[in-house]
Amino acid sequence: MTSRVSRRPLPGPASTLTPRLFAALAAGKAAGAAARLLGRGGGTSLPGLVARRIDPAVLDTVVRRRGVPVVAITGSNGKTTTARFTAALLRAESVPASYHPAGANLVQSVTSLAVNFADLRGRLPAGVLVTEVDEGALPLVAPELAPRVVLVTDLFRDQLDRFGELYAVAEAIESVVRGLPADATWIVNADDPLTASLAEGAAARRLTFGFDLDRDTDRITRAADTIRCPRCRADLVYRHVYLSHMGDYRCPACGFARPALDIAVTDVAVEGVGRTRFRVRLPSGASLELAAPQAGIHIAYDAAAALALLVALEVEPVHAAAALAMVGPAFGRLEQIDAGGRRIILGFAKNPTSFNTNLRALGTEGEPRQLLVAASNTLVDGEDFAWLWDVDFESAAPRVQRVTVSGTRADELANRLKYAGVDPGRMTIVEDRPTALEAALEAIAPGGTLTILAGYTPTIELREEMHRRGWVGRYWQQ
Amino acid sequence: MSELPGDVAGTGFPTIRIAHLYPSLLNVAGDGGNLAAIERRCAWRGIRTEVAPVEVGETPDMTGFDIILFHGGQDVEMAVAAADLAGKTPSLRAAADAGVTIFAVCAGLQLLGHRYIPSAGDAMEGAGILDLETRGGAQRFMQHAACEVTLGGRKETVVGFENHSGLTELGSGVRPFGRVIAGAGNNGRDGTEGAIRDNVLATYLHGPVLPKNPWLTDQLIRIALERSAGGPVELAPLDDELERRAHHVALAKALRNRGRRTALEPARLVRGEKRAS
Repeated sequence: MTSRVSRRPLPGPASTLTPRLFAALAAGKAAGAAARLLGRGGGTSLPGLVARRIDPAVLDTVVRRRGVPVVAITGSNGKTTTARFTAALLRAESVPASYHPAGANLVQSVTSLAVNFADLRGRLPAGVLVTEVDEGALPLVAPELAPRVVLVTDLFRDQLDRFGELYAVAEAIESVVRGLPADATWIVNADDPLTASLAEGAAARRLTFGFDLDRDTDRITRAADTIRCPRCRADLVYRHVYLSHMGDYRCPACGFARPALDIAVTDVAVEGVGRTRFRVRLPSGASLELAAPQAGIHIAYDAAAALALLVALEVEPVHAAAALAMVGPAFGRLEQIDAGGRRIILGFAKNPTSFNTNLRALGTEGEPRQLLVAASNTLVDGEDFAWLWDVDFESAAPRVQRVTVSGTRADELANRLKYAGVDPGRMTIVEDRPTALEAALEAIAPGGTLTILAGYTPTIELREEMHRRGWVGRYWQQ
Repeated sequence: MSELPGDVAGTGFPTIRIAHLYPSLLNVAGDGGNLAAIERRCAWRGIRTEVAPVEVGETPDMTGFDIILFHGGQDVEMAVAAADLAGKTPSLRAAADAGVTIFAVCAGLQLLGHRYIPSAGDAMEGAGILDLETRGGAQRFMQHAACEVTLGGRKETVVGFENHSGLTELGSGVRPFGRVIAGAGNNGRDGTEGAIRDNVLATYLHGPVLPKNPWLTDQLIRIALERSAGGPVELAPLDDELERRAHHVALAKALRNRGRRTALEPARLVRGEKRAS
């Protein structure tokens, strides 16, 4: 099999090893080890922070100057799952892949990835470095990574206090893609009109992925971001809507339309909270029957994106079905947890789209019936929770029998649920997260299910409590 | 009373007809929650509502509605709405003059004024229904905010989240919607928040503002009903425990941020650490 990716380690120590680089790597690794020992996270950001302080060029030296093949996965949704799929697919073809299973995507985190995987002479293992890069951090990180492949999953408005950034982020990604050399590849979600309109005429080869289905799998809702033509702003016409604003669209005014698909999902079925089945057509014409033990239409997008990355790296996915069948949900992505004879389904939700996607997948099993929801104001989760009013809680409300509302913004969530049609008599407000978990589980009979939907910080807190009780490993140990 | 058109048996109130302007365009800040607040608080009292989405290119007779909602949006979407607004302006003006309740938020406020002059690019013509003008500013006001509002002879605190860079100056033909307690208000300078003229109420407050200010929601419902019923209206009280709690928390957050420009520096969100996508 021919491949652009070497399965052997890269050439040995280059002349780039300086005392400063050595010190940066040693200190970074030590900081990571200390953080893990103290239970302060899995060293997803501290090693990079420390190493960069000693040698600001550490990432550039270890990655770009040594010619390490890098894929950079960016976009609003699906970065972590796509990276997990990509690593699994590559490893199944005997191509080593280095990546952060917990998802870490800012400058320090990407640097941490390199610091953690490199040896003390700055040599990374053979194979591909799979990075996920926050859509805002991409322009900062890309020059130091010199990625061989850049993948854009989609672009959604994320948090409201990042308001107005959507178009700015699109421009930033476009400038990175335009800067790629001709032998690089960029991969784009063709079903998202905004990403599909980016960087036309760029030197790098473009691969597209999307759904080729003759039916709708979603409808345009208030949560949709871009349903106007990114070129002329006329309303787009959708032949089919697949997920939020993603679909098969065209502009009646200027002729802009969804590009042809190189990698296409030709069938998809969500089979409960634990499985999604799909079929993917590759550029070779081969059609793969696949399934992953995760729930949601978006899983098929993430898998198609990961397969596109293999196509870009010229690695033939012979063992794709076996590889994907082993990739369970990333932490908090509708993760199923055995809580002492009761089942917890833990869904992390950060914006209307992730909330709606989770709720729709849960609905295939008649969930959520017993619910714990949590939202907190933090630097990561944001200050403004107005977007909760764009979540389609209305559809789920009739199924909810009892809900525990938690987090420092329990007030906003509880009021939102009331206006979505959940009777306040079925709600209990418990701001403290561990106490809320206790209270919610108390009401559940053995064998019953508790569904948890929570923002980023409450998810970490609730998972930490579950770890304390011995139900899950630490999120960075997956 | 029961012979009034659209009356639901027992309530004595006519159906409230609501126009939702540009629902797919101006949808950025959860402001759809304002519509939910009006609909639910009517439904809980047995008052019927009908909602008509009014999109680009559609020009229904706006005087046929009881409440018109005009919400906020991102810059691009606002420009699309502004370009379309001229076709709706005569009918909107007639509705405002006829006493129809119009409730506008952020971009809606700016576009009900004479014009919006961005720092770069062409000015957008507004409907000229409110005597105010807005200029693009260098800074974005982005924080929990509160103001004091007087309506129907009662003074109440209204809370929300402001997120705008436009600087609005009121003319003599309007009075402020509220007096700033915390936050920037119209321009961060004169202590005014929003604008009122007849039954046209406009504010910068997102949140969405109505669900956590049930008193304000009920004022809009009352004003609309008094016009269509032709006399004073008293609304049945509701259990507002959760709404009061949401109001209380938002007010506490606004007061904590008092005197500060922004609740968060957006740059820290981009450069700060965030582990998952």
